[in-house]
Amino acid sequence: MKNLNKYMNLFIGLSLLFALGCTDLDEEIFDELSVEEYGKTDKEINSLIGPIWSDLRQYPDYYSTLEVSSDMSVTPTRKGGDWWDGGAYKEMRLHTWTPSNSRTRRVYRDLSSRISRCNQILFMVENSEGIEDKEPVIAQIRAARAFWYYVFVDNYGNVPLVTDFTDVSLPSTTPRKEVYEWVLSELNDIKDVIRDDVSSSSYGKFTKGAVYSILAKMYLNAMVWNPDGGPKWQECIDACDEVLNLPYSLVTNWKDNFIVKNEGSPEAILSVVYSLTSPWGIVRASLHYLDKIALELNMNASNGISAQPSYVKSFDPDDKRIGWSFLIGPMIDPATGNTIITAHNRPLIHTIDITMVYAFDAEGWGQTEQEDGVRCFKWEIPKGLSARGVESDVFIFRLADIYLMKAEAIVRSGGDNLEATALVNAIRERAFDDPAKLYTSVTLNDIYMERRFEFAWELMGRQDQIRFGTFLDPIPDWKPYVSNDRCLLFPIPTDVLDANSNLDQNPGY
Amino acid sequence: MKKNEEFFFRRLTLNKILRKMKVTIILLLIGIMSSYAELYSRDAPISIDMQNGNLSDLFQIIEHNSEYKVYYKTSLIDETQTVNLTTDEMPVSEILALALADQNLTFDLSDKVIIITSAKEKANQPQTVTGTVTDGSTGEPLPGVTVQVKGILTGAITQVDGTYSVVISPDADTLIFSFVGYATEEIPINGRLVIDVVMEEEVTALEEVVVIGYGTQQRREISGSVTNVTPRSFNPGVTRTAIDLLQGRVAGLIITQASGDVTIQQSVRLRGQTSLTGSSEPFVVIDGIPGMDLNAIAPQDIKSISVLKDASAAAIYGSRSGSGVILITTKSGISNQSTIDYNGYVAFDVVMNKPDVLTAAEWRKYTADNGINTEGLDLGADTDWFGEIMRTGITHNHDLSYTGGGTNNSYRASVSYQQREGVVKDNYQERLNTRLTFTQKALNDRLNVTLTGSMNMRKYQPTETRNFVLSYNMIPVAPVKFDDGTWFDSLEYDQGNPVRNIEYNKRLNKNNIYYVNLKADLNIFRGLNAGINVLREGKTTDNALYNHSETEQGRNDQGFAQRTSSNSDRRLLETTINYVNTFNVHKVTVLGGYSYEDNYSKNFRAQNRLFVTDLLGYDDLASGENLLTGDVTSGGSMYKLISFFGRINYSLLERYIITATVRRDGSSKFGKNNKWGTFPSASVAWRLSDEPFMRYLNFLSELKLRVGYGVAGNQDGISPYNSMELYGSSGVYYDEGDWHTAYVVSQNANPDLKWEQTAMFNIGLDYSIMQGRLNGTFEYYDKRTSDLLYNYSVPVPPYLYSSMLANVGIMQNKGIEILINGDIIRNPNMRWNVSVNLAHNKNEILSLSSEEFTTTSIKTGNAWVRGGSYNTTHIVEEGKQVGQFYGWSCTGLDADGLYIMDDMVDGEPGLTDDDRTYIGKAQPKLTYGITNSFTYKNFELSFFLRGVYGGDVLNYSKMSYATTQWLPGANVLYDALTIGLEENPKYNSFYLDKGSYLRMQNLSIAYNLNTNVLGFNSFRFYFTGQNLLTITKYKGVDPEISMSGLDPGVEGRNYYPKSRTYTFGVNVSF
Repeated sequence: MKNLNKYMNLFIGLSLLFALGCTDLDEEIFDELSVEEYGKTDKEINSLIGPIWSDLRQYPDYYSTLEVSSDMSVTPTRKGGDWWDGGAYKEMRLHTWTPSNSRTRRVYRDLSSRISRCNQILFMVENSEGIEDKEPVIAQIRAARAFWYYVFVDNYGNVPLVTDFTDVSLPSTTPRKEVYEWVLSELNDIKDVIRDDVSSSSYGKFTKGAVYSILAKMYLNAMVWNPDGGPKWQECIDACDEVLNLPYSLVTNWKDNFIVKNEGSPEAILSVVYSLTSPWGIVRASLHYLDKIALELNMNASNGISAQPSYVKSFDPDDKRIGWSFLIGPMIDPATGNTIITAHNRPLIHTIDITMVYAFDAEGWGQTEQEDGVRCFKWEIPKGLSARGVESDVFIFRLADIYLMKAEAIVRSGGDNLEATALVNAIRERAFDDPAKLYTSVTLNDIYMERRFEFAWELMGRQDQIRFGTFLDPIPDWKPYVSNDRCLLFPIPTDVLDANSNLDQNPGY
Repeated sequence: MKKNEEFFFRRLTLNKILRKMKVTIILLLIGIMSSYAELYSRDAPISIDMQNGNLSDLFQIIEHNSEYKVYYKTSLIDETQTVNLTTDEMPVSEILALALADQNLTFDLSDKVIIITSAKEKANQPQTVTGTVTDGSTGEPLPGVTVQVKGILTGAITQVDGTYSVVISPDADTLIFSFVGYATEEIPINGRLVIDVVMEEEVTALEEVVVIGYGTQQRREISGSVTNVTPRSFNPGVTRTAIDLLQGRVAGLIITQASGDVTIQQSVRLRGQTSLTGSSEPFVVIDGIPGMDLNAIAPQDIKSISVLKDASAAAIYGSRSGSGVILITTKSGISNQSTIDYNGYVAFDVVMNKPDVLTAAEWRKYTADNGINTEGLDLGADTDWFGEIMRTGITHNHDLSYTGGGTNNSYRASVSYQQREGVVKDNYQERLNTRLTFTQKALNDRLNVTLTGSMNMRKYQPTETRNFVLSYNMIPVAPVKFDDGTWFDSLEYDQGNPVRNIEYNKRLNKNNIYYVNLKADLNIFRGLNAGINVLREGKTTDNALYNHSETEQGRNDQGFAQRTSSNSDRRLLETTINYVNTFNVHKVTVLGGYSYEDNYSKNFRAQNRLFVTDLLGYDDLASGENLLTGDVTSGGSMYKLISFFGRINYSLLERYIITATVRRDGSSKFGKNNKWGTFPSASVAWRLSDEPFMRYLNFLSELKLRVGYGVAGNQDGISPYNSMELYGSSGVYYDEGDWHTAYVVSQNANPDLKWEQTAMFNIGLDYSIMQGRLNGTFEYYDKRTSDLLYNYSVPVPPYLYSSMLANVGIMQNKGIEILINGDIIRNPNMRWNVSVNLAHNKNEILSLSSEEFTTTSIKTGNAWVRGGSYNTTHIVEEGKQVGQFYGWSCTGLDADGLYIMDDMVDGEPGLTDDDRTYIGKAQPKLTYGITNSFTYKNFELSFFLRGVYGGDVLNYSKMSYATTQWLPGANVLYDALTIGLEENPKYNSFYLDKGSYLRMQNLSIAYNLNTNVLGFNSFRFYFTGQNLLTITKYKGVDPEISMSGLDPGVEGRNYYPKSRTYTFGVNVSF
């Protein structure tokens, strides 16, 4: 019996011990890091700032909104319905997009996230005790945030201006004018603080060159984005000159800007750095399923975005940038020497014309043959490529753009046409073998067209068209009418308005 | 006779208890049940002390001390013969038997009347009949069974090994075998001297001991909604996990087999969907161990399964029981008895229904009729691509168990092995479950210790569903292989050779679960027990994948290999104190407990591509030449759960029963502002049939009204650290020529994050009439789940991400469940039992918004067809059910083959997204199951029908492939030629079909061999057919499709068709 009592006591004792002793619910964290504990050393802090540069990879992916709404490219619906996608691309082409359009929604939501992240990183750096010289770091972050707001001002105009990460109240819409002025003041604040080196160390980061490039864009588009503020042509020229004074130079061989190892290009001002792990997808989206046979690739392509026929036809046939930018003509199977045959039993020939056949709807939209349309061929696609895109970096700003912006500002402000002509010819001479193709003097239209030839697929189309007043114009064979002028700004997506009732829709939607 | 039966009833109750004591682990029951037995018997024994009296005196004494009247012819009684009789508390029937034994008299006892008659002369010598009694479901011998000669009270009781020996008079014609908890068998003797009997458990018996959370209760004492299923009612045939045993058997428990893939588990919903984010799967408890995986137990080891349906029953499991609880009890050893059981079967699986794509002849006819040039496409073959990837699947199953034990201990060891092939060639599963349970009593039987070890291994290859997509698209005129043996392949969109994929690509998944469990139960003093339950469990998975460089799946990467592994360690400690006492008519049970649980997981993945050779597959990742950033990953996580719980049961006169429980759960997963939650419940039951005013309703054996209310939780939707602000790695950034890892805040932190809370009201009525020949249950419930977890939209900025896991919405499920169970024929040679269960559930979302979060609707589900991205199928909206189809309403096709759509929904002509409307509901109105079982002599036949009424199904493959526009380069459904669609396929109501079906889930025929001849305890052959017949108007492959998530009711184009299964098996016990 004594024994039994002992057991009983032990039993009850144990039970009580566990019952009373262990109520601790603390977690151990393994593969993530506590916000309180991480971010003490330089290396750790760099890893937290790094996203502001890697986030730039999102920007070129806006092509399906920024490119496809311009008259330089189109994503037609292919026979069988590929790329119909609820009419998202048709709306981009016909300028009939609504606040629920998936393409404009994607850009808005991405821009919002980029800005929130900049605010969070800025807050983290400002409160960090581990950083000795915060000023250049903060300048990087503010430049990134100003860049994203620059894209916002351009595409959406009236957006919430949020700069304080700790303020969790629901923001209201800030008028385009105020956002515009804020971006200018931010850029002017940091232009003398930010690093000014043009080196492998500053590659892919925000530098003085990048900040002045954004400034030049802001000034060049001032009459569109903030007409009340009046023209800023001289400011634009000055900003361009600041960039021109930096050690950038035009590459002799134009194609060097688009090769796999293009990070050495002296023309690059603000670069999006890609790798095989995170490649750029436009080529993959554009090529036909069977182009891989002709190009000897392993990559699966999806037969999407093509060049708008009227745009391709506007090129001078001698302009080498046609061949450098577009994949045109019959696709040959290297094994047989014959033209490849598609599943619809048609030869795989990328024609410039994109013909709408089958099932026309009331708005004239239909399906096109699978192989119609010339494809994006600007960035190098090495044989055997198996990644989800190409590895070449994409330059958001490159020196050629500065040349043409300055030329445009000079012409618009009635400046020295000779200087403008020289700037344009510097770009143009790389594309022609025949010096006779160079200009002796340039008109605004010459500059507009030169921009279009130079920057195929480089997401300049929409902004340039709006500035030159051609964005709403009819598009031959595709859009017979002048678009509603609400299209100059994209709508605020429906679900964004649902989540924040303080926001206002853009006019006309 | 009534009183006599009750008398036996009482004694047998005790016998049953004695058996249970040997069999089961719960000492506690002795106290409870013996006191029950006393209360239950109405045949109050009387004490007699009579010296030198006669029979008339005795009859007077009996009349005086009982309710009986004694009738007899005075001529029969010899008044001079003296009777000396001393009894202490002996029932009347026994007293009479003693007193009349040597006076050539006998008696009949009826309700309150005793008739004395003359015993017949015995012309011949009595004979002895022997035999063995076994349990029909387990095949185990049944000790303690009363064997009685019909009309005579004397009899015998079976021994430990189930054998009996009874002396009968020559005029005896029938033996009665009775045992509490089993159906009484009346067997004609027909001159036989050896009679073996198989007895079946009587499910409706009130004494049935039902496992509830942290304990057991007798059926009659239960006040919550608990359904108990025993092996007799399990589904026969091929079973993968315990849940297969229950499909269709429990009203309100919807078990859906959403795929024919033999490696995929069924989805389970109890009383509707209760979560927007979590799994809504019921919580599984095996032998008192909470949170177990269904793969951790072989179906053969299961003794019973209890389903806790309402919150008053489930709330004892707190924050994890909001979707109901399934309690599985396993078989254990029996003291002083040893048995070996073997169950083996072979099964054949044949595909039930395949997609009807164009055959080569149909393809050629179409192209010829339409003048399409097919040169280069038509390679002269005639290939049935679906047929090429399918086969007849063969399954082997072997279950072996051994039980034994001494006086103070018992053990059971079992091995279950199953090798199963799916009907698709790459699909198989091999599982091995082993288990050893050892129970030892000590300290004068006051301490009971059980140690269980279990090892469960699974090796399997899930089907690559991509091959179904390829089989739809590949044209039938292309060959699998050319004449020279080389493979045909296609680089077109969604095309490639699926046979080559299956033959060259390999996936090998391994999943092991090991655990050891120690339970100890100590009786401290009468009525008070302390228990401890300790578990250590390890789980590992190791998945390997290789996509061959020449196949459709591997050609992009030029060979792709991947290995993924994970392991987790769980520790559990639970302590309980239990007190039971009975004071006169009051019975009280009190339970208190504490539980601690933690779980640590680690995972690892590596992959590589571009291999020089395909020979090494996934076994040499290092030889790949294209290792990218992010190809090697690892991670870890942990969580803790700490709980306190208690329960009080009170019963008065066994008529009025009250149960109250409470659990307090703390979880490390919850946000820091909501670490602890409390989950209370209460229920009452009133056994009307025991009320004096109901006694006159003789046909009524049981009538019980139950009402309960409880609050349970669900934390399934929360992963560890979901509530916190943390930095997680996020790709790389470029810095001075090198790539470095970037860290970002990985989610919107929500310090208020907590469980979903389900409050449930339940009212039920249990009935049993005509000695249980007809019995069943009616139930109504209303449950409301609030604080629904979902990734709700939040504005960016100020938030970092556009969605945030938060507790916002409210959802309701209301329903009715009906169970009717009846013995239509119940006689010695033949039995016919019919059981019908019906359930109706109505799901409605009441709210999706709170002060902080506003959500008007969630459009969800992917209506992707070629060229149809960014299209949704379903809407989650206030006032609608989960599974509400939302899209354009289409009334058919016009003469031009264009959809006739309702474009005026938004009030304006022109079809826009605003014209989408509510076009169907995935959730059925009614689910039902009908079981028929017949027993005729040694034959058994049972069949089980299961059905669903109401509910729409989206025929996704019809939407994708009933169009001619892919011809001739890609194949389409035959429907494409008949429906005449001339535009891009679009998601709309045209593709919604009624999903009602009635399915013959299984049909089983068994024969029990006369075992005495062969020396086995039992020997049984059986055949089972599963999925034999489906009656439905649905035109797709199968109307039984996935009902989980927010977009249920879709038969996707990667749907794995189900099979018919034919099983031939044998059960042997010796």
